Amino acid sequence: MLKTLDVDHINVIFNGERILKDISFSVHKGEMLGIIGPNGAGKSTLLKVILGLITPQEGKVVIKSTNKKPVMGYVPQSRLIDADMPIRAWDFVSLGLPNMIRPWLTGKDRKKVSKIMQETDTIHLAKKPIGKLSGGEKQRVYLAQALARDPDVLLLDESTSNLDPEAQESMTSLVHHLCESRHIGIIFISHDLHLVKKYAHRTLHMTRGHYIIGKTEEIMKDEKELSLCLHPPYSDESITSVDQQINQEIKDERIRTY
Amino acid sequence: MFQYDFMQHAFIAGTFVAVMCGAFGVFVMARGLSFISHTFSHIGFSGASFAVFMGWDPLTGLLLFTTVSGLAVGQMGVKIFRRDAAVSVILSLFLGLGILFLFLSNKQTNFATTILFGSVVGISRQNVIEIVIISLILLIVLILSYRVLKFDSFDPAGAHAAGLPVRFISIGFLFVLSILVAEAVQIVGALLVFALLTVPASAARHLTHSVFGMILLSSLFSLIGVWAGLSLSYITNVPVSFYITIIEAIFYFLALIWQTVRLRWTKERTYRAKNI
Ligand SMILES: Nc1ncnc2c1ncn2[C@@H]1O[C@H](COP(=O)(O)OP(=O)(O)O)[C@@H](O)[C@H]1O
Ligand SMILES: [Mg+2]
Repeated sequence: MLKTLDVDHINVIFNGERILKDISFSVHKGEMLGIIGPNGAGKSTLLKVILGLITPQEGKVVIKSTNKKPVMGYVPQSRLIDADMPIRAWDFVSLGLPNMIRPWLTGKDRKKVSKIMQETDTIHLAKKPIGKLSGGEKQRVYLAQALARDPDVLLLDESTSNLDPEAQESMTSLVHHLCESRHIGIIFISHDLHLVKKYAHRTLHMTRGHYIIGKTEEIMKDEKELSLCLHPPYSDESITSVDQQINQEIKDERIRTY
Repeated sequence: MFQYDFMQHAFIAGTFVAVMCGAFGVFVMARGLSFISHTFSHIGFSGASFAVFMGWDPLTGLLLFTTVSGLAVGQMGVKIFRRDAAVSVILSLFLGLGILFLFLSNKQTNFATTILFGSVVGISRQNVIEIVIISLILLIVLILSYRVLKFDSFDPAGAHAAGLPVRFISIGFLFVLSILVAEAVQIVGALLVFALLTVPASAARHLTHSVFGMILLSSLFSLIGVWAGLSLSYITNVPVSFYITIIEAIFYFLALIWQTVRLRWTKERTYRAKNI
């Protein structure tokens, strides 16, 4: 398998607090990597480092691309869209097209937008204003916009978290389908262990300052313990001690720990 | 009315100002900057008064004050500025300063009305040339940055995610907007520049969901308002800005009514289709 993304010993410190500690992994073409972990574990921060929106104190990210310049597609966790935003979905997708210096769109550009909207099952929404779409429809349109620049790597930050279970499943299966048809690397952050189990080839489990990565089946082996770790039923003070305890166990037996 | 030089001047300058305000208005609306443009025009008023006090060309004072404040707002971040209190404090401060400069300059009593309410007769050949040149520069900037600006205005999170230099775009837009405001104040007056920057665009957004369509419609509404305003003002001697606001308001309400009617019609049609 061909590597498309290499994350090499990333360290990020915010206000003296170490958010990401020496993280290294790689993603292959046609592979889906799931990221799980409790809130505040640094999952979003890791994606932003990969995108270049945050410069890490140490470490580097290398992307191998067939294009001249590596391209990344990113669907952020939160997106402020005014319900009255008058722009229609077709225009919204076309915003993501590359070559932004040319003020107009070529016929090729237009075809590409329509093709991507078919691929993501949003073509029937093309004329509707983005603010009037349902949550699931919006996520598909965001995904289409990210695809408009033909990314080598696609990063999805909890893009299904606010959807109903059915929409979550169909969105994730769409992403899985894109991963195979476009043969690109995909990283998706999710709180839904069931979806990660079903679609992620490998899983990265993060807690504050620690992580493990491995085949999804292996990471998911102790599902009970995992869900405790992801949604701890404890007060804030005890979370850290539980995290420490779990991390200690992780350290003892899992594949790779820092 | 075109036998007079001053009316020719007003129409040429007004055409350029109207089209630019209409086009930029779509982005002002999408970026939520209408009150900042309002504040810029008041800062412009005090700049123009300052220029008169110093014996300069009013445009120099306008440009100086608005661009400096545009860059200052860009530096501080638009968010701070959106707080009501900050806006009212700065608005009134600059209005007050403008009044002080006018009082100190102690001449041209009708200058205050001209700069606050706009004027048909006040536009010289020199003004026209300045306005045309500034408009063409702004138009070129708009064309070159069109796709980037569109992305950042209509989907800021997406633009940031795509790696666009969002902070630079934000400051750059405020800078360009401040120049446009300075230019427009001379024709429509400081009090109502923001009407021309926001109302045509708000009317257009009810009629189309294509960004380019909005720009065309907004410019058209703005242009009709300015042309009609100039003509009616010539005939009746009432300030231009009054007519411009009336006409733009009419466009806005017609657009609202049109949208409501169209929505009801499509609902009825789908209802009937379902019940056949
Ligand atoms: N720009 C920032 N400045 C300072 N601290 C930040 C910043 N972004 C995130 N953090 C902190 O880093 C930690 C990890 O945040 P995040 O990556 O969003 O977590 P997750 O996505 O896993 O919930 C949190 O404690 C958050 O408060
Ligand atoms: Mg997050």
